[in-house]
Amino acid sequence: MFLSVLGSFFASMTNTAHAADYALRIQVKEQSRDASGKTDNQPVAGVSISVTDANGVEVGAGETDESGVVVIPVPDKADYTITLDESTLPDGQSLDAKSSPVQTVSKDSFVTTTKIINFFTGESQSESQTFVERLSQRILDGIRLGLVLAMCAVGLSLIFGTTGLTNFAHGEIVTFGGLATFVFNITGLSFLGFLAFLPGVSEQGTFHILWAAPIGVAFGGFFGWALNAGIFSKLRRRGIGLVTQMVLTVGLSILLRNFFLSRFGGRTRPYREFTLQRAWDIGPVSITPRDTVVSILSLLILVTVALALRYTRLGKATRAVSDNPDLASATGIDSERVIRLVWILGGALAAIGGVFRGLDEQASFDMGSRLLFLMFAGITLGGLGSAFGALVGGFVVGIMVEVASLVVPTELKATPALVVLILVLLFRPQGILGKAQRVG
Amino acid sequence: MDWTLIIENSLKGMVGVNAVYFAVAAIGMNVQYGYTGLLNFGQAGFMACGAYGLGMTAHYFDIPMWWGIPLGVLFSVLLGLLMGIPTLRLRADYLAIVTIAAAEIIRLIVRSVKFKTYFGGSDGINNFSEPFREIGTDIGIQQSAEYGFWPFTFTGRELWTLVIGWLVVALFGFLVYQLMKSPWGRVLKAIREDEDAVRSLGKNVYSYKMQSLILGGVIGTFSGMIFALDRGSVQPDNYSRDVTFYILTALVLGGVAKVTGSIIGPMLFWGLFTFIDNFMRQIAEDPIKVGNFTILQSTQVGQLNYMLIGLALILLMVFRPQGLVGNRKEMAFDGR
Repeated sequence: MFLSVLGSFFASMTNTAHAADYALRIQVKEQSRDASGKTDNQPVAGVSISVTDANGVEVGAGETDESGVVVIPVPDKADYTITLDESTLPDGQSLDAKSSPVQTVSKDSFVTTTKIINFFTGESQSESQTFVERLSQRILDGIRLGLVLAMCAVGLSLIFGTTGLTNFAHGEIVTFGGLATFVFNITGLSFLGFLAFLPGVSEQGTFHILWAAPIGVAFGGFFGWALNAGIFSKLRRRGIGLVTQMVLTVGLSILLRNFFLSRFGGRTRPYREFTLQRAWDIGPVSITPRDTVVSILSLLILVTVALALRYTRLGKATRAVSDNPDLASATGIDSERVIRLVWILGGALAAIGGVFRGLDEQASFDMGSRLLFLMFAGITLGGLGSAFGALVGGFVVGIMVEVASLVVPTELKATPALVVLILVLLFRPQGILGKAQRVG
Repeated sequence: MDWTLIIENSLKGMVGVNAVYFAVAAIGMNVQYGYTGLLNFGQAGFMACGAYGLGMTAHYFDIPMWWGIPLGVLFSVLLGLLMGIPTLRLRADYLAIVTIAAAEIIRLIVRSVKFKTYFGGSDGINNFSEPFREIGTDIGIQQSAEYGFWPFTFTGRELWTLVIGWLVVALFGFLVYQLMKSPWGRVLKAIREDEDAVRSLGKNVYSYKMQSLILGGVIGTFSGMIFALDRGSVQPDNYSRDVTFYILTALVLGGVAKVTGSIIGPMLFWGLFTFIDNFMRQIAEDPIKVGNFTILQSTQVGQLNYMLIGLALILLMVFRPQGLVGNRKEMAFDGR
């Protein structure tokens, strides 16, 4: 006892000598997560911490403040032992099962003059889940991504089917829908302020997301129509080759993406409504009400599209043109009209995908182009040119990518999509639902 | 407005390091796109092979830097096989899709934390180009001295990279020119025009396409090496898919299916790019406004430049897909 008092006495003397030189910053946090599953740890105040050196002599002690932090100065870079007095933890809290009340730091671990040590209380949010729980959560996330991918990919696949064009600017149509919605929802168009008598519309011309989303989708459809009418129908009439058109879509993609970047900036930004929600825990998984609504809506839209393609006259015409344009024309189908419709529908669906993606992950200038490669993997898996294939393929790729993040690091979770792409092309180039044709 | 400075910079841009590494990569892409009709949208991946081949010698293998050259070539041959085997029997678009995907995955892998020991993560690999600089010093180029005449004044450091770089351009330019005159080159052009006809003559189209893809990729690899040696570092984000697209734009600007086109294209590209960039920055010093609406402010100049690249590519494809010196008849292929 006497020794330790003496020790802390000397310690405090050296502290004044090296006032700002070396210190241990000890943080005590209660682990928790917010609705979207991001880490949201809470500070724990009033916890006693003591620090001893290699000889067991106490060099400092303190209590955590409001922000759960205590800074204990130490004389030098050396090995220390940090002890947390568990009896001073607030009632009902205990240290995480994996976290010991005694932690050590070594001399080498001082990268800067201050070394940070963390103690966690409560349940660890990442480790405590069982494999089955993590798998089911990933599958659920995968379904959400898959629905968005399927929605975006239908247009890409239909455009390919009816015109033979692989559109590398399709991701930008997705972004366009997402950002158009953002403009109506957040930026506001002041000349539309006169509409403020409507519910959900403000004097500044900003619209509630329930207005903004359909408007954005309409703009997406219009954008698709404009691309066809302004560029691609003219190119087809002039008989410009498909490879040339494909390279042109690359230019279009560069142009649009940098336009978005210059107007919107490089940050990601959320829509106004439905941003913060508490997740529902359903069995092993959690999902926010917003995501539930979005997923159900996506499913409804996709089923409608599939049924329309299957049973309506226009849907049949579309599939006929997709199958064999010349034969379709010969049977009296106006293929230009079908192609125009496909661009409008594809643009609108891509825009819906963009809005839903924006609700899920926030809006950004490259939200669509980052999906492009996954869409390609999806439509190749499903069968290039087949609308049903795009639905199935996009859905499968979405689930696969999310589930893969259980095994591969998150930053590499897109890799399995490339593997699938290559395997499909090697063994079944026509995809799951495509029809076999002699190629090469 | 300082016109002298703008013109000086633009002329320098035409022969600078950027033009060099674009030219080498464009010569490679020209073999694939111009002569064979293959759409390789993953040239940046091949360039990364070269750059990382060099970087890994110091960072991971701990062997002399020069081993990086065969290593980079080996990487790019493997990459070419990976991209080519599944796609070259299929229609043209599959290659485009797979190359764009593969290049993007390569970028994700080399910047990942998981493989940091091999590739250095998002910081990349630095300071490995000393052996290259030393040769320059040995033959008497002072690294920090100024050489040249107006407007082409370069430091010894830049000059040495440029000398080697333009030598590589000349070498590959000559090689490709000779190859395309040979029977082998004529088969490639025939494949571009009509694959089935070539097949019916008993040629193995698949194998020729593969050779073309790999040759173009290996040339691209050297472009990545030049860039990495100049910087003395490799950064994963220098090999994004946009780099491929800019090189493609530069190639189409110059002229496809012509060696001269693939060299003057990048020179023009960087000359024009520097010109527009300097010009825009000078007029955008004060934000340009119409009423309350800002049309252009200085922070948006970069994006505007890239928008213009995209626009240029669109206009070129509509009105002159063969580029400045190309022959229109050679760019009429369809890809179906």
